[in-house]
Amino acid sequence: MSEGYHFEDELQRKSYDAQIMRRLLRYVRPYRGWFIAATLLLILVALTSNLTPLLMMWSVDHYINNPTRLGADAAGAASQAILDMQGLFQMILIIALLVIVEGIVRYLQMLVVAFVGQKTMLEMRMELFDHLQRMSLRFLDRNPVGRLMSRVTTDIEKIQQSIVTGVVEVISDLLTIGIVLVFMFAVNWRLAFVALSPVPFVFITSYIFRKYAHHSFLEIRRKVARLSAFMQETITGMRIVQIFGREQDHANRFDALNADHRDEWLTQIRNFALYFPVVEFFSASSTCLIILYCAWNILDLGQAVSGVASIGTFFGYVFWAERLFGPIRALADRYNLLLEAMASSERVFQLLDTPEDIMDKPSALNPGTLEGNVEFNNVWFAYEPEQWVLKNVSFRIAPGERVAIVGHTGAGKSTIINLLSRFYDVRQGAILVDGVDVRDYQQVALRRHVGIVLQDVFLFSGTIEQNIRLGDTEMSEAHVRACAEYVNAAKFIEKLPRQYQYEVGERGGNLSTGQRQLLAFARTLAHRPQILVLDEATSSIDTETEALIQDAIEKLMEGRTSIVIAHRLSTVQHADRIMVLHHGELRESGTHQELLAHGGLYRTLYELQYKGQDRHHARVANM
Amino acid sequence: MTASTPRIAVAPDRPFITLLRYNRPYWKAYGIGACLAVLFILFSLLTPVIIGRIVAGFEKNTMTYALVMGYFFTLMGLSIVEGVVRYFQRRLMIGASRHFEYDLRNDLFRHVERLSQRFFHKNRTGDIMARATSDINYVREFMGPGVMGTADMVRVPFTLGYMIYLSGKLTLFSLVPLPLISVLVYACVWYMNRQSKVVQELFSLVTSRAQENLAGARVVKAYGIADRESRDFRKDSENYMRANIKLVAFMSFAFPLIGMIVGAVLLMVIWQGGNMVIRREIDLATLSQFLIALIMLAWPLAQFGWVLTLYQRGAVSMKRIMSILCEAPDIRDDTRTDPNAAVTAGAISFRGVSFKYDEVLVLNEVSFDVEAGETVAIVGPTGCGKTTIVSLLTREYEPTTGEVFVDGRPLTQIPLARLRGALGYVPQDTFIFSDTIRANVTLGRPHASEEEIWHACEVAQLAETLRQMPQGLDTLLGERGINLSGGQKQRLALARALLRDPVVLILDDAFSSVDTHTEERILHRLHEVMKRRTNILISHRISSVAHAHLILVVEEGRIIERGTHEELLRLDGLYAEMFRRQQLETALEDVA
Repeated sequence: MSEGYHFEDELQRKSYDAQIMRRLLRYVRPYRGWFIAATLLLILVALTSNLTPLLMMWSVDHYINNPTRLGADAAGAASQAILDMQGLFQMILIIALLVIVEGIVRYLQMLVVAFVGQKTMLEMRMELFDHLQRMSLRFLDRNPVGRLMSRVTTDIEKIQQSIVTGVVEVISDLLTIGIVLVFMFAVNWRLAFVALSPVPFVFITSYIFRKYAHHSFLEIRRKVARLSAFMQETITGMRIVQIFGREQDHANRFDALNADHRDEWLTQIRNFALYFPVVEFFSASSTCLIILYCAWNILDLGQAVSGVASIGTFFGYVFWAERLFGPIRALADRYNLLLEAMASSERVFQLLDTPEDIMDKPSALNPGTLEGNVEFNNVWFAYEPEQWVLKNVSFRIAPGERVAIVGHTGAGKSTIINLLSRFYDVRQGAILVDGVDVRDYQQVALRRHVGIVLQDVFLFSGTIEQNIRLGDTEMSEAHVRACAEYVNAAKFIEKLPRQYQYEVGERGGNLSTGQRQLLAFARTLAHRPQILVLDEATSSIDTETEALIQDAIEKLMEGRTSIVIAHRLSTVQHADRIMVLHHGELRESGTHQELLAHGGLYRTLYELQYKGQDRHHARVANM
Repeated sequence: MTASTPRIAVAPDRPFITLLRYNRPYWKAYGIGACLAVLFILFSLLTPVIIGRIVAGFEKNTMTYALVMGYFFTLMGLSIVEGVVRYFQRRLMIGASRHFEYDLRNDLFRHVERLSQRFFHKNRTGDIMARATSDINYVREFMGPGVMGTADMVRVPFTLGYMIYLSGKLTLFSLVPLPLISVLVYACVWYMNRQSKVVQELFSLVTSRAQENLAGARVVKAYGIADRESRDFRKDSENYMRANIKLVAFMSFAFPLIGMIVGAVLLMVIWQGGNMVIRREIDLATLSQFLIALIMLAWPLAQFGWVLTLYQRGAVSMKRIMSILCEAPDIRDDTRTDPNAAVTAGAISFRGVSFKYDEVLVLNEVSFDVEAGETVAIVGPTGCGKTTIVSLLTREYEPTTGEVFVDGRPLTQIPLARLRGALGYVPQDTFIFSDTIRANVTLGRPHASEEEIWHACEVAQLAETLRQMPQGLDTLLGERGINLSGGQKQRLALARALLRDPVVLILDDAFSSVDTHTEERILHRLHEVMKRRTNILISHRISSVAHAHLILVVEEGRIIERGTHEELLRLDGLYAEMFRRQQLETALEDVA
């Protein structure tokens, strides 16, 4: 019924990978000192916390239940009682001090681990982010944003939680276990054996339980994912569900998924309901065995007070045994988590190891200004092998010249933009700017001089001003406003609630297409490019804004080498030269009048796309 | 088919009452669970009693080997009985909460399905999803661990009574700081929940920043602002990190502190109790029992603080869930509905229909009539209201003024399911479910025969594509299956609509991604199908609407031109202009 739903499988590693671990540790290396400090603190915690039972034992055997006092006569007992009370008080003070020290040390230790873990992950996340920034558009076009996102977010989180924190916790558990064992065996090794005899069972039960629980847990995760995906899909496709009357069917399928999810949880509840009492039973049996051993010993010796096994020893061992069970239970679980995080690390490292395909040459140029000479020399280009998008395209544009590129959808117009700003590298031939191959410039430098306005204006969430400024803090506010003013954007901006501080929503959703165009013009102008590349928007815009945009385009092109993918008659008519691109080839080139007279492709195109605009405007004007 | 109403009457503004109503079927589980909690505490209190006996036995030298063995096995037996009681308690109470969760989620889903498009435009998918996932989970946590924790509170009076019985004085000593644990745990969990929310929000900021950066990679590269983006991302990541460290730092502080307070109470009792033993006011056995009872008391007290936060969070979430459950479906069968009404012929008329959405007039006084078996075409620029006309016919929205009639009846009289059952709708943006092609095609008629399915695919020009797929109709789509091209999806949507054998066929710009050649073939085959029903065609291509009996030209929500192809050409208006332009386009393709 729901076989149609598939989710990214839980990528689970079957084994521990030393190579990945080594590479992970490299991130922790700068914090080696902190790490060592944390470990030292851990030893301190383990020591102090396990000293307490020893002192308790002493308090019981030597003060509360002092045999000397119990054996003495009334007068002797009274004076001894005062001494015992004093001794007990001192002991309590020492223990209290230890408890406080333990608390403080534990606090510091947790803090250090959190700090190192978080800091490490920050650096790792930044490294990944910067790496993604350097990847070419070719890479980004091929990898869905969602997949890359989960590397930067979920995977990094998992590594932080399970590895950085996890490793410290494992060390902490092992230390606690080790020190408890030392204490127990040092004080009374026979009793230690008796007290520890249920431990292997605890370990085995925990191990078995974790296997089932972990399996159930993964199942639950999968089922939650299915449930959510199905609900999400139903909500997004609710129109179709309702129009095709599928409500009952979808409700039934949801019911089935929901029941599946519930049943898996019921299994998990049973696992836990079984596990807790069983472990509880083992730890209780440890206590019982300690009692049994102590009691037996005391009976053997015929008296309640003895150095071998006393009431105090009994209390001490019960405390120690209790301290042992927690870490043992935890250890069994940590390994699974570690493996899971290994899978995350592997995915992250894989991404980090993907080489950048467009890189600056070591000697790349970074000129302060450009004249604006653009030249395409026999350029061939294909996004996919053998599917040529540009075929042997050559042209030359002089500084300050305005060129309009026209052609059918898919003729290769936008590819020219992609190549000129080196989003992609040419397959054959060369593109020269001011006589220098674009591959010899620093990418940042080249793009600083080439201002691009794309059809689909991308706005970042933030204010209008931030979207014009694009993070350039040196740009003056006056400059931002002047640019907006110049390209006719100021008028609409000043009508907005907080003007330049108006927050544009996600992807600029609350601005109209025309407004976004004008904003993009202001942005481009503000960054003072020498070369302007403009992909005119085709979408219909109201007449008033249309006039503003045409005027703005005129102004933008002034004094700049301009390449415009034109959809507007006025833009074409005002160009110094028109290039006609057809199926990746440059077919015609000349002024509007020349090409019309020539009677080729351009003439047809003109009649098709632009002449209508003429009529439409005439119609609007006559109204 | 409209799904049934929620089984449980939702009491608006009273989350607790609603919660109780939902859990009524499980009252036995909760009741028995509570009884088991009492049983458990009675058994647990036997442990300190026995240990007290053992210690007393040694103090008074009355112990024998037989007695020791007896006590040993009694303690072990007690531990087993406690475990069994706890096992059933957990399964019953936590289990009941999972059953409740299942009921609530099902109801929520069914309810959401009954709501109209207006609701889905107002509420983002993510918000609805959050109700069905995290909110339901918070409510369940309250009903499961929360109620179980509350039931466990019965330990407090029993244990306390036992402690007072052992020594009133020592009880007083420990009673002063113990409630502090409840308060402290409550405060800590409250703060942690709050700070976690801050952390979550900062994390989603990091996520959206990265998302935006990747989605806007072109702009980032074009303006060479990678460094600045990286700086901003670092700033967000650092904020997130700081909030995270703050949370962990708090936990690092709070957890040892709570441990320290419990430790302090124990030490206080050992000190004072020790003195009392030395002064012979109580014996060591009593002190041992008291200490064990004290440890048993600390846990439910700590739990109490935690349960309180569960309750708070659960109540807030329940209110959020109820805000959806209380949303009345605005389009449904009601008193106006005539159960016998049906769509038979398919004559459609719009009479003075206007439609406002968010105060914006989308349709303005639209009136037209289509005879049964005729074809009407709607053309006009993007966003002029073409699709809205169809949405009023499918009753996804209701007109603000005016009325829509089918076969002479107002739409409100026709049962919703029957109305929609008579429509075959191919929408502009095809929605494909990630399921098999078969499931997608048979969406409107799950029991269609193989022959009928293939016939529909044949007409939609999908059969050829299907035959090339190794698994044919059973090919999986979406997520892990294959992805169809835009044109293939549209053809699938057409097959889906045709399979319903609808009285009215609606094609809303249904061939925008299909190439002209295939479109011609589809239209050729469709011709037969269309002859037998009423058709509504929305298209940009004049060539595909030219044969319609009636063509409506819509601009800015009103019909500006109407008539047949010839009539409209003679009119020489917007339609005629569109027609000329498209003819040229065809001419250009021939040039190439």
